[in-house]
Amino acid sequence: MSDQKFIVGIDVGGTFTDLLCLNTETQELLSEKVPSIPGSQWKGVLGALEQLGIDYGEIRAFVHGTTIATNALLERKGAKTGLVTTDGFRDTLEIGRTRRLIGGLFDIKFVKPKALVSRDLRVEIGERVAADGEVLQSVDDVDFAPVVEKFRDSGVEAIAVAFMNSYRNSENEDKALAKLQALAGDVPVCASTGVVPEKGEFERFSTCVLNAYLTPVVTTYLETLAAELEGQGISAPVSVMGSNGGVMTLDQAAKFAAGTFLSGPVGGAGGAVRICEMAGVDDCITFDMGGTSTDVALIHQLTPRISHSNQIDAYPLQVPQLDIHTIGAGGGSIAWVQPDGTLEVGPQSAGAMPGPACYQRGGTEPTISDANLMLGRLPTDRTLSGGLQLSKALSEKAFADLGEKLGDGAGSAVQLADGVLRIAVSKMAGAVREVSVHRGFDPRDFALLGFGGAGPMHVFLVAEELSIPQVIVPRFPGHLSALGQLLADLRHDFVVAWGGPLDEIDIEDLRGKAGAMRDDATARLIADGFGEDRHEHTFTLDMRYVGQSFTLSIPCDPLSTSWDELREAFHNRHEQTFGRADRHSEVELVNVRLFSLGLIDKPALNFAPTETGASVIETRQVWFGDDWTDCPIMDRTRMGAGESFQGPMIIEEAGGTSVVPPGWTVNVHASGSLDCRRRYDD
Amino acid sequence: MKDLVQLELIRESLIAVVNEMRANIIHSSYAPIIYEGHDFSCALMSADGRQVAQGLADHPIHIFAVPYSTQQVVATFKDDINEGDLFLHNDPYTGGTHLNDVLMLHPVFFDGKLSMFAAMRCHWNDVGGMTPGSLSGRVNEIIQEGIRIEPTKICDRGVLNEPFMNLLFNNMRARSERLGDFNAMVGTGRKAEEHLQRLFKRFGDGLLGGIEELIARSERQLRAKIAERPDGDYFAEGYIESDGTNPDPLVVKLKLTVKGEEIIADFTGTSAQTNGPTNCGPAMALNAVGTIVKSFLDAKTPINQGSFNPITVISEEGTFINARNDAPCGGMAECKFLIDSVVASAMGKVAPEMTVGDLKGGANHVIISGSDPRGSNYIHYEWPAGGTGASAGTDGSNAVRSYNEGDFNSIQSVEMVEAQFPLRIERCEIRQSACGDGEFRGGFGLRRDVRILGDRGALSVLSEKNVIPPYGVEGGANGAANSFTVIRDGKVTAPSAVPGKVSGFALRTGDIVREETAGGGGYGDPLKRDPQKVMGDVVEGYLSAGEALRRYGVVIDGGAIDEDATRLKRAVLLESRVSAAVELSNEELTDGPRRQFLVPNGLAASLNVSEGDLVELVTGRGSPLRAWTRLRDGGDGENIVISASSMDILGVAPGDVVQVRAAQPHPEIVA
Repeated sequence: MSDQKFIVGIDVGGTFTDLLCLNTETQELLSEKVPSIPGSQWKGVLGALEQLGIDYGEIRAFVHGTTIATNALLERKGAKTGLVTTDGFRDTLEIGRTRRLIGGLFDIKFVKPKALVSRDLRVEIGERVAADGEVLQSVDDVDFAPVVEKFRDSGVEAIAVAFMNSYRNSENEDKALAKLQALAGDVPVCASTGVVPEKGEFERFSTCVLNAYLTPVVTTYLETLAAELEGQGISAPVSVMGSNGGVMTLDQAAKFAAGTFLSGPVGGAGGAVRICEMAGVDDCITFDMGGTSTDVALIHQLTPRISHSNQIDAYPLQVPQLDIHTIGAGGGSIAWVQPDGTLEVGPQSAGAMPGPACYQRGGTEPTISDANLMLGRLPTDRTLSGGLQLSKALSEKAFADLGEKLGDGAGSAVQLADGVLRIAVSKMAGAVREVSVHRGFDPRDFALLGFGGAGPMHVFLVAEELSIPQVIVPRFPGHLSALGQLLADLRHDFVVAWGGPLDEIDIEDLRGKAGAMRDDATARLIADGFGEDRHEHTFTLDMRYVGQSFTLSIPCDPLSTSWDELREAFHNRHEQTFGRADRHSEVELVNVRLFSLGLIDKPALNFAPTETGASVIETRQVWFGDDWTDCPIMDRTRMGAGESFQGPMIIEEAGGTSVVPPGWTVNVHASGSLDCRRRYDD
Repeated sequence: MKDLVQLELIRESLIAVVNEMRANIIHSSYAPIIYEGHDFSCALMSADGRQVAQGLADHPIHIFAVPYSTQQVVATFKDDINEGDLFLHNDPYTGGTHLNDVLMLHPVFFDGKLSMFAAMRCHWNDVGGMTPGSLSGRVNEIIQEGIRIEPTKICDRGVLNEPFMNLLFNNMRARSERLGDFNAMVGTGRKAEEHLQRLFKRFGDGLLGGIEELIARSERQLRAKIAERPDGDYFAEGYIESDGTNPDPLVVKLKLTVKGEEIIADFTGTSAQTNGPTNCGPAMALNAVGTIVKSFLDAKTPINQGSFNPITVISEEGTFINARNDAPCGGMAECKFLIDSVVASAMGKVAPEMTVGDLKGGANHVIISGSDPRGSNYIHYEWPAGGTGASAGTDGSNAVRSYNEGDFNSIQSVEMVEAQFPLRIERCEIRQSACGDGEFRGGFGLRRDVRILGDRGALSVLSEKNVIPPYGVEGGANGAANSFTVIRDGKVTAPSAVPGKVSGFALRTGDIVREETAGGGGYGDPLKRDPQKVMGDVVEGYLSAGEALRRYGVVIDGGAIDEDATRLKRAVLLESRVSAAVELSNEELTDGPRRQFLVPNGLAASLNVSEGDLVELVTGRGSPLRAWTRLRDGGDGENIVISASSMDILGVAPGDVVQVRAAQPHPEIVA
């Protein structure tokens, strides 16, 4: 054990695979970045490990963030899924509950997205449970063989079972699950209450179907990865980032593929919390821009927002996940001409292969990276870290071609590059607004934290678009997601649908339920290898007034609390949230929730700059606003703590280039982060 | 650049306030119709009652009427509007919708000056009146629909007028639920004010200035869009099929004029108000024209008062779309949707590329009430969505709200309904076969069976398009009509002599209420529909193979399309269509509100229609013109005789040949 000193975090993005390896003895961080390999993400992982050159036997833990589930859904490449449901309700997935979910007011051409299971693969069977849980019609006599046969003939790769009122009594659903599993061979089967045991058939069915749809893709990938790692002699357990910000074991992820939906981007939010803590910032918005997409999340008082009811496209996903907003704009996003002759950027990306035109790997279309090169923000006369030599000629050619397609009025290639960048920045500002303004927060009250391969290059422009006065650029910006993975605790979420009006239920029953949940959580954490001294349990209760439908989440300690205390906490919370408390109304308990962490050792991180006496690498003409400006290019490793610089400047380091426009002051914080400020004239 | 950023921030911030208000109402209300059905809307108004912002989900039917109501409040109370006041309003004749929709206005003061109103309009599940739920298809005066509230100050500088509120609540069913929803609105107003004060602190006077600029921008944008369209007069009409008491329909007549940057919608000639529920107040016509003009010309610009300024509406007081006391207005949604449908028909001629198949009818109000086994009374209200209309390049969508509706539910959650009421929903599914056929077909409606588990119950329905189905466009066929029936002892029973208008029909234990909603109108010729798409619908079970054959001429054999047989079948179907030349009548042809065509006997026989049946003339452009059949005297001749106004609406001249077909409430259903 003593020689297992490395913890490895690996973040697979759409363009690059980032790896960060912490030596727990020396606190030294090693990093690697290799191109991602679409379709075989695990190959990129192995490639990055190989580059690292450490003894695999010395790896203690291995944490992985993957976009495999996200990609499968966005590209509609999940499993062909069959649904088994209650007679009369095969169209629940299609009818939904709320109207359009994705806009459509005044839109004559609105088209409702198709359900993930085509109608001919939604099979109804004779079963029914009443709203009070009584089994009206049992599944005991149902023969599932013809159902499975039909699915097999249709090439179904995953099966979802979702019955009406199963949240109240899952007996029929459980039996059907067992029978189908016995008949279905290798085809995975999941039941709705196993994924989300909560009331509301559309949301529960949808979540169950999403889970089934993603299971084969996620499982196959993780099994392949585990086998390949084992083949390389890595015996350390592999864990996967979950959408809730904690890590999951491989086993957990295979059963709960829908819980890995945000596996990729959550690492960044976790890393951002640690960076903010070190830099003394409480509130920030993360701006994680990679080659293909940009993820933003709002962190308020060092806590990322978590949401229990989510929606991917028009599909409800009722699992706890961090509130992260993603748009399809990254460094590799391609600029193109729309049918009506206007300019558009993304969401298509040149990815890592062929990559932007300037990479000299065969790409011919102009990307955001090409635009940056044209504007002098990237060097052309020397190689980047990682050995990449950029070709300005190829970028110029790509933009000349684009200008030809646009025809008259396209302006010079440089003006065109500037326009492409402005469009991209405006889209990214829209994403920041989505998580702030649209959630009732003013972005100017937050610092914008720029990371990811392309984040530091654009974060200042996005901040200016929104009049945000503070930008933070962490050390190792290209690897912050992987850093977040190194720091993440293991997390299990539990929910039990139990309760009633508080004057009708016994607090001892709550203690009993909570105790059983805690025992269950404890057993799981021990099985995951965490001793009891590393467990942390947090209970919350979903409560409402009798007669209401929606609930508020009230934190509590079931052992010490009383109904009166909970009533008071609820009234106060209701008043604070909704502007009014109904103190004469009785309060009702609906769900008991528990999240349990298996705490890992938090490594001490030391990013403080060791060298000072910043050296200007060179001075270059860089395009800012609407003209060329002489701009110093700095080496970040030689910018000392406490030192202060004035923009414009470009700061280079391994894994990221910060482009600081005129008007910004860059302060090097003792924690290593760049704390950058500017004022806006009112 | 910075001003533009600030302007955008103001706009987005205001919309965020409205969205928060919405979330607040949903999360703190007590009636399922609000938290499940989302039958409510929120908006922000200026101090003089102009609309400033609404969310993306708020229903135009609620919101576009709010300026009217707010202006009434401002006119009534003038200088006597103070911090801590609250106002209530639901009177249809002064800007309300129907009595159930209760508007609360919360005035907001910046630095002591009245600057804005936060507006919340929620459908209260019961506001008193004749039947539980207050809405019914068979009322005769507004008194039967509940309590009418003219602009009223219910809270004076923070002091609630409790005797008044008691009077209100004592005259409504399910008092505690009413009180809960009222409180949710009060709390929401407070939160909205909190947010607005924060915005004022940030933007200062720039906030109100920005609002004016945003309104001006919306107006400029819509004016520019109107100016792109050719000047001219465009005619259309449509019918309320019954007011519930009288067998005659009511007609809406429209002359829509595009003149430079403005649109004038003249509804002169529309039927007089009736004793039945299908009337609405003066706010609805502008509301409808605004909704449809925006949808056709400028769907993306954020909505505010500027979107209405280029529009003028002419409607006579005393017609059913501008009703006076004491006309019942429970069916205002039915009226508003009909006006929407008529305006869409005219706008299809103004902007042909946006032409769209007809809407499903009105709100489809279904109210099931009764007592549960423990003896307490319940009211369950739902309003099932239908299919949406098809348009160029786009099939309609199934069982979903249409472009003219807010983000209401398609239908309430089965588990929520069953947990709360002694009802069991035995099926809730797509209503197969019921689309309007076309090159692009309309969406399918839904079918829902609700079984009564309690001892006794009552059913009220208020709906339209049960007899006159949603029209297709550009030659597309009509969608299936709405249908509301009761299954008793296995047999289908009509709960009312007038389809779709039911008032307190007595339900027994074990009865099933069956709701079948309309399909959207089709677009273009069904025989031009891509056979692969037709087969896709057959594979997924939306259509049977027999329907594919008879309605689309697509021959499917052994799971594949037989292309040769399809070509032949399509030629045969095309050949079997009935066409005729139009001949000009010297006089207007009407029977009361009903437009008539003179149809020769031979033509009537080949269409299988008799005297008094509904037929439609199809030019292949825009929507068809419908009229009732009058057989030609003597029965000879080959031409169909129509009046000059019919020629105007259709845009045809004497001698032009048009397709003639029966407008059938239901498409052929295969056994």
